[in-house]
This record gives sequence, structure tokens and C-alpha cells, in this order.
Amino acid sequence: MTDVAISIQNLSKTYPVPFKRLRTFFRRPAKEPVEALRNVSFEVQTGEIFGLIGRNGAGKTTLTKIVATLVQPTTGTVSVRGHDSVNQDEQVRRQIGLATAEERSFYWRLTAEQNLLFFARLHGIADRAAKQRIKNLFAKLELEELARRRFGELSTGNKQRLAVARAMLASPPVLLLDEPTRSLDPLAAERMRDMIRSLAQQDPPATILFTSHNLAEVETLCARVAIISRGEIRAIDTPKNLRDLTSGSETVHITVSSGEKISFTRERNDDRLDETIRQLQNKGDRIVDIETERPTLLDVLERYEAADSRG
Amino acid sequence: MNSLRLLPRRILAFVARDFRLFVSYRMQFFLRIVSVLAVVTTLFFISKIFAGFTDPQFSQWRDPLATWLTGLAVLNYFMTGFSSLANSIRQEQMQGTLESVLLTPINLPTVIVASSAWDFLETTFFSFLYLFFGRVFFGVQYRGSFFLALMFLILTTVVLACLGILSASFAMVFKRGDPFGIFLGAGSALFSGVFFPTQLLKTYAGPKLGNISLLLPTTHGLDGIRQVLIEGHQFSQVTQPLFILLGFLIVLLPFSLWVFGRAVRRAKREGSLIQY
Repeated sequence: MTDVAISIQNLSKTYPVPFKRLRTFFRRPAKEPVEALRNVSFEVQTGEIFGLIGRNGAGKTTLTKIVATLVQPTTGTVSVRGHDSVNQDEQVRRQIGLATAEERSFYWRLTAEQNLLFFARLHGIADRAAKQRIKNLFAKLELEELARRRFGELSTGNKQRLAVARAMLASPPVLLLDEPTRSLDPLAAERMRDMIRSLAQQDPPATILFTSHNLAEVETLCARVAIISRGEIRAIDTPKNLRDLTSGSETVHITVSSGEKISFTRERNDDRLDETIRQLQNKGDRIVDIETERPTLLDVLERYEAADSRG
Repeated sequence: MNSLRLLPRRILAFVARDFRLFVSYRMQFFLRIVSVLAVVTTLFFISKIFAGFTDPQFSQWRDPLATWLTGLAVLNYFMTGFSSLANSIRQEQMQGTLESVLLTPINLPTVIVASSAWDFLETTFFSFLYLFFGRVFFGVQYRGSFFLALMFLILTTVVLACLGILSASFAMVFKRGDPFGIFLGAGSALFSGVFFPTQLLKTYAGPKLGNISLLLPTTHGLDGIRQVLIEGHQFSQVTQPLFILLGFLIVLLPFSLWVFGRAVRRAKREGSLIQY
């Protein structure tokens, strides 16, 4: 039986215009309030890697910040492992770790180790346990050699890895990872993805809310994905089902031994592929290669964006 | 309860962090010590101009050097009590670290109190230097109960910290342009009797302007400390400034906490907690 780690119900967020009444009183032009989220509802199960995708300004960051208790919702509720994000914010923060790609969230003149030790102390971790935990995290994220380097001297990728290490400091059961591989080289990014997978498989498993603009990464990592556009959740499903929503068809490219290449589009359930293979074999051709092109999450995202643009 | 148990550890975490940041700028530390010594030496020579000319009605000013040094040391401390709370918020906002600090299971009041702890330690050290240099190099004598003077210092600092909470609330909502800072920062040196007796204000500027000094907690705190350290007064002789300070505390403490709570809620609603 799985239980709910993050529950978001009818969540809306409108950023009010500061001092609107004052501006109106002095007849100064006032901007319109910004509606960042509209009636968002979904649940993330314990141990699930849940992806959140959408364009810049779609509402991903606001949603993440509300879950992290940094911003209060206008209406609706967010609860993390049963704790309300507004009324029990301190308990919620005990359950979560947030890693963002924001470089300015560390003290640049302190070393990587001193930075983590400071945050560990704020979590209430005793010094000896904190130092051991930091050592383990540095080993896990391949940061050992950089422990005594000042944060300001680290490369962008290493700063990002340190942000992930900080999110994991108190071993929180829920991790909010905002583009954790954005500045990593391909090898480091793959190792980061492996680590994220292993976190969701460990005992007890970590729940991960994952945002990224790398849609291929989201497809490979996430059990379910939510597409957010203009503050609204447009679809939530497995990456496969989301792709199928766009189109059930795929393009097949077959290369035979004579060098001839055959391409055709078929519906996922039809027997056109069987038929073509049978015909080629009857002709005595040997099949050298078969490639299929299926819709990606990018196609899905584009479809919703196009629909929204049309209004 | 758990938060209260962890408070000392968290304060220590901020102090350790700020100490490390402080020692990463060593030169600044030594230059500040030198500048305190320079100020004390300058005041010593100015005080020699007034030797034997002090008006007997100003009993605290018989040795102007002692009076100035207590004034500067204490003003330094008061200003920290007042400004460090707002500064700590602003500094974290500008560095971009406030968000990551607030992501830990720690509430905002704890962040503010803990992140200003180092300022108080630093100011204690530099305030002590004024008195220390005066005593060691220029033979300034202090008498009376240091314990009683410390009590005044703490009480006045807490009263100013209440104004500091109001100032931090302004920093959170308006980001800049804090009226308390302007009023207390500019007003304390002029109206609190740091460099000259407050009675002179009434004599030369009239009773209206002279009475401004009575509205400032720093005037009463400084008066109490000087009565103790310079005139050697006992507890029973300093009850008047003591009760005035307590009055300030009773009014300002609940009011500042109420305003602060509203400011935090507003900043979270606007999503502007980390903006500066």
C-alpha cells in the first residue's frame, strides 16, 4: 500500500500588488495582480519521482515554493506527510529538502564544508553527526576534494551538486529538486540521475518532486509527470500515457541488407509493421536495422502550449 | 519546546558562521581597533581644553573624557541593539541566503535574533575597547556597580531591540527607507547626551526641542549608566531612569511583536520575503 507524501488541493496563488490602495489613493497606476497558480490539485505518493514540466513562468517555481512554505497560497491547501504548509510550516520544513540552481543561496567566503555545517546546525544536527553526514554526502556527490574550498571558488556544476548535498543534509523524506542537473557535464548528470533513482528505491524511500527543462531526463526518471501551463495543471500521467495522448502513431524506419530504407507511419495497435516485415522476408531481404520515432514530452508540451495560445 | 531547546545551538551556528566570515576580512578587524584608539586619543586631547572649566551643575561632566567614552561605548551598543535586527534581515536578503536559511526548521524570529548575536558580541568587544583604552592609556576612573550598569545596558538594549523589531518589519515590507532608523540614528547622537549635557538643548534650543531627548530611550539608558559608573550612584538613586525604561519596554514589546507578525504574513503573501 502506498501513502500520500505531498497533497495539493485546489491551490491558487495570486501575487497581490503591494500598496495597491495607497497607489490608487495617490492616483498612481497600479499593475494587475499576477495569477501564478489556478486551482491546482494533485498528490505525490511516497517513493514516487514526480516530474513537473512547463515553460518559464508557468508556475513551477511558485508551486515548489509553496510546498517549501516560502510562499503562502491564496486559497487551497498543501500538506506534506500530513502537515499543513501554512499552519504547521516548521513541521513541513523538517520533512523537505529543496535544491535550486540559485548560486546566491550559499555564503561565498565560507568553504563548502563550513556552509553545510552551518545548515546542519540549523537543522539541529549535533556537530559530530553533522560532520559524518557531510563526509558521506561529499563522497556520494564526488565533492570530497572540494570540501575545504571556498564556495565562491567552485565551478557552477559543483555549486549545484553542493545545493543537492544541502537538500539531503537532514535526510528528508521529501526532496524538491529544481533542475538538479542543469549545469552538470553529461557524466555527472547521469550519476546524479542514478543517485536520484536510488533515493526513491532506498528503504525508507524518498519522495521526489522534480522540475526540469530537460524533458528526456524527466521521461527517464519520473513515474508520473504533470504539465503546468499558465498556472494550471493541464495533464498528469505517466510519460508513456502522456505521449499517447498526443498521438497513438509512430514512424518506423527499416534498413534492409540491400541498403534500401523503408519508412512508414503506423498506429500503435495496427499490424502494418508485421505485414511489412513479412513482405521483406518473403522477398528474401534481411532486416539490418529498425528504428521507431515516437512523440516525446516536448510534443505533448507543445500541444498544450499551442492550445493555450489559441485561447 | 523543541525549538527552545535548539535555540542555543542555532545561535551558536550563526555566531560560528559570522565569526568565520569576520576573520576572512582580518585587515578590517585591526583597522577598527586602531580607529577606536585614535578616537579615544583625540577625545583625550579635546578633554584637556575643558580641564577645570566644566559647569558644576553638570555633575556627570566633571571628567569629560570619561563621559564621552561611556557615551560612545554605550551608544555603539544601543545602535547595535536597534539596527542589527533589521540589518541581519537585509543582509541575508541581499546575499540571497535568506531563503535557504528559512528552508530549515527554524522560524523567522529565531533567524533574526540568532543572526544578530554576532553583532552584539562584536559590539561588546569594541565598546569595551573604548573603556579599556581610556582606563589603560589615559587613566580614566570608573566607579559604582558594574552589575547595575550592565543591568541598565541590557534593559536599554532590549527596549531598542523592540524598535529594531519595528525596523526589521519595515525592512521586510518596504525593503528600504526605514523611518525608525533615520529618527534614532541621527537623533541619538544629538539628543541623548552622548557628547554634551541634554540640559544645554533646553537652554539653547528651547523646551520643545529640548524635550525630544526625553522621548528617546537612549537618553534614559545613558543617564542611568553614567549615574552609576561616573557618579557612583546606588540602585535606590537610579530608579527614575529605570522605571522610564521599563515603561518603554511594556509598551514597545507587545506592539513590536504584533507589527512583526503582520509584516511576516504580508511578505509571505506577497512572496517578497527574499526580495530586497
